[in-house]
Amino acid sequence: MKHIDAAAHTRGESQYVDDMPQPADLLFAAVFSAPVAHGKILQLDIKEALSMDGIIAIYSAKDIPGENQIGPIIQDETLLAEDKVHFIGEPVALVVAKTGELAQKALKKIKLEIEELPVVTDPREAFANGQIIGNSRTFALGDIEGAWNICDVVVEGRCDIAGQEHVYLETQRARAVPLEDRCFRIHSSTQSPYAVQKSSAKILGLSHHKIEVDVQRLGGGFGGKEDQATPWACLVALAAWHTKKSVELVLPRHQDMEMTGKRHPYSSDFKIGLTKNGKILAYEVKHYQNSGATADLSTAVMERTLFHSTNSYFIPNVKIFAACCRTNLPPNTAFRGFGGPQGMFVIESAIAKAAEKLGMSPLEIQYKNLLQENDVLPYGQHVHDARSRKTWDEANKSYKFPAIQKRIAKYNETHFETKKGLAVMPICFGISFTSTFLNQAGALVHVYTDGSVSVSTGGIEMGQGLNTNLAKIAAKAFGINQERVKIESTNTTRIANMSASAASATTDLNGNATLIAVGQILDRLKSLAAKELGLSHKEKIVIENENVLFDGKATGWTWGKLIQTAYLNRVSLSAHGFYATPGIWFDRDKEKGHPFAYHVFGTAILEVTVDCLRGIYDINSVKMVHDLGRPINELVDRGQIEGGLAQGLGWMTLEELKFDEKGKYLSNSLATYKLPDVYFMPDVLEVKLLERIDNPSGPYGAKAVGEPPLMYGIGVFFAIRNAMRAFRPEIEFLFDSPLTPEKVLMQLHADWLDDLTNGRTVTSGKAVKAKKEKVEES
Amino acid sequence: MLCKIIKLNINGSTHETAIREYDVLLDVVRENLNLTGTKRGCDMGTCGCCNVLIDGRARLSCLTMAMECIGKKIVTIEGLKSPIVHPLQRAFAESGGSQCGFCTQGFIMTAKALLDENPDPKREEIEEAISGNMCRCTGYIKIVDAIENVAKLQKNGKGSN
Ligand code: FES
Ligand code: FES
Repeated sequence: MKHIDAAAHTRGESQYVDDMPQPADLLFAAVFSAPVAHGKILQLDIKEALSMDGIIAIYSAKDIPGENQIGPIIQDETLLAEDKVHFIGEPVALVVAKTGELAQKALKKIKLEIEELPVVTDPREAFANGQIIGNSRTFALGDIEGAWNICDVVVEGRCDIAGQEHVYLETQRARAVPLEDRCFRIHSSTQSPYAVQKSSAKILGLSHHKIEVDVQRLGGGFGGKEDQATPWACLVALAAWHTKKSVELVLPRHQDMEMTGKRHPYSSDFKIGLTKNGKILAYEVKHYQNSGATADLSTAVMERTLFHSTNSYFIPNVKIFAACCRTNLPPNTAFRGFGGPQGMFVIESAIAKAAEKLGMSPLEIQYKNLLQENDVLPYGQHVHDARSRKTWDEANKSYKFPAIQKRIAKYNETHFETKKGLAVMPICFGISFTSTFLNQAGALVHVYTDGSVSVSTGGIEMGQGLNTNLAKIAAKAFGINQERVKIESTNTTRIANMSASAASATTDLNGNATLIAVGQILDRLKSLAAKELGLSHKEKIVIENENVLFDGKATGWTWGKLIQTAYLNRVSLSAHGFYATPGIWFDRDKEKGHPFAYHVFGTAILEVTVDCLRGIYDINSVKMVHDLGRPINELVDRGQIEGGLAQGLGWMTLEELKFDEKGKYLSNSLATYKLPDVYFMPDVLEVKLLERIDNPSGPYGAKAVGEPPLMYGIGVFFAIRNAMRAFRPEIEFLFDSPLTPEKVLMQLHADWLDDLTNGRTVTSGKAVKAKKEKVEES
Repeated sequence: MLCKIIKLNINGSTHETAIREYDVLLDVVRENLNLTGTKRGCDMGTCGCCNVLIDGRARLSCLTMAMECIGKKIVTIEGLKSPIVHPLQRAFAESGGSQCGFCTQGFIMTAKALLDENPDPKREEIEEAISGNMCRCTGYIKIVDAIENVAKLQKNGKGSN
């Protein structure tokens, strides 16, 4: 089934926040933000800006009627800076004007006098200074100290993992509309309407019910609008509060890129110990997360790193340490994978390095240590329905790893300039919010007297196909045509206290809540039908294809007749369903529990060709076996797999976020930040779904799909690195991502470069030349 | 600021609108004419969300001066109807080529210009045509598939525009 919104998208009819009809007196806002990454505010001078034509008002922290605080977990983030600024792009003042253009112009006339303070951008430096957010945490299993002694080899190393810009194509935006009695409606491009409601209520000093947040859809989110859609919504609410007019704010791309946080960069140290046969006995890792200037969701992101630091492997002795390090960058935030990918990158690096030391194929080590049924993870949860080996074996059977390895070895023997590399990337990703209380959802279902159905949930449609899934779930549960079902906007007056659309769990949570609401209505309808038709067993009544059946036989009643009769008999045709994921818990004092409803598994094999004289490369193929349970909608899910993979591949290769030591992002536009384009995708992409096995936790047996496929992308780093090793096996290449063509070239020819810059005769050139001759001879 | 009343031919009808000399077409179609199907993804020619057809060619409306469009034929996504749904629109919807939808119209306008000029493009030609359009959701494969499908349909005489 196709994407429910897609037809309107293709006609240009889908409305995003700033496409909605504009009231005649709509005002427009622009954000004045900190020009330096750390400093004391001496003076904010808005006089000149305020005197410009068309400027209505300029607000700063002192104009906030409520509490100037929007931190979602830890209360350390102001909406508008008070006496200090902590990152470049931190909002300081809000200009409100008759047009967006005028508002932007006025920004240039605002003067901010600042006394600069020292800037820290490196998480290790921040850690050494004691600049930590929350508490550092450690997950442990077995006896790590004892285990090192029984290892045949122990390998240590370091990883540096860069961040990633979300590049939702619709930038951050919001519109606030004042209503009667000091109430406000906010249209926001947010993944978390309740976060917007809570924070704007706090900013204005109002109770939650005075703020209505409505979200029709997002032009992409990927985590970047989980928490960081909140400030812009609060700012327009503030302006609407003062002006009593509707106010809209749309961040221009470069401001969005400058002011918002990204995927967290990590710097990590690993130590891994194995037997000489490749069995991993011990693994220790220290993660220094670059959190940026405020907590945002960093502590939760770090928690997911802790949970995913051993990826798909069973390791008996483990110690995982992580700390959120406060730096002077924009607050880093949720991004598809939410800290999981960073944890996985480090264990894969450790395995790669161990394989080099043991002279073994990394595939052998990976396979030997894959999770098996009932293995325990470092956080105490036993894996049920483990499908790591299943997906690996299935992938090996379909794609024949040994044959590929052989073909690549042959290619590398006979080619000098270009080398091929291969990597296998298994994934194991836990589904559920790791804060157990967030795993709750509500759904409101109405049936109207013409038999049409309206479904509201707390889930946000952001392209991932949630609405398509919900429509299918509701129609199937009622036994009616899907055309009868409409999925409403997400609105805080219909669904209260909703969790963000995140953690891949949106369809699971909201789909299950919808099933519960539909079940309540169905139950009433069946009781009524049983009574009216004089049938004794209401459980034998089912609705199929809009017909009411009893014991499999037609009763003559249709859906339409059933609903009409129910209405005339005063049977309620509305229900609110509430779902809370059962059986999950986590004890943060002991760092043990059962935080995930289930895991998603999969295995991908990736092949690349690297031009070792130029550093450029091509992703030849990505082939995978992925576990979707019993998919609700395969087309939508495949779209998620392809899009997620593209983001993962981009993160590891060409998406390079650069900032200078002053904390300024140098890649602050799509001209300086390289996004995957159509040429970037693998030449061949094969996605096989593991045999459909019901997942007891998902609606109709489905498994979550949003985040896991991104992590297959990690494999491309190791495939490229393996190709580099084929060219120069004597070099120990860094675990430093993204592996841009520039970095490939610099690492392959570092000695060359060194000779050149120091005025020596180039020596490595000779080695390369000798090798070339050897290849040509053979 | 000095305004000028100009006439623009958009989607087959003439629109009179007041513009300033430096106004770009994107602002004029979105703000003055309320044709909000055309999207703003970057405002600097790097995303392709704002593509429209000008005299049959795909053009970035964020980099096109409205003044330059006088006397030219402009088509936005709202004008793409044959008679109800254009085959490209159907194909994008059915193949999964549109997820969040923000980039979609830009791809469709680009593809329309390509197919009008080259009704039987090779896959590489499709890729070349859309290489300036960014999509963060789909990974492009289903987009190329959609365009290819329409080309095939048209070749077999089943779709028309
Ligand atoms: S808005 Fe014109 S190319 Fe991005
Ligand atoms: S569908 Fe979302 S950017 Fe293309």
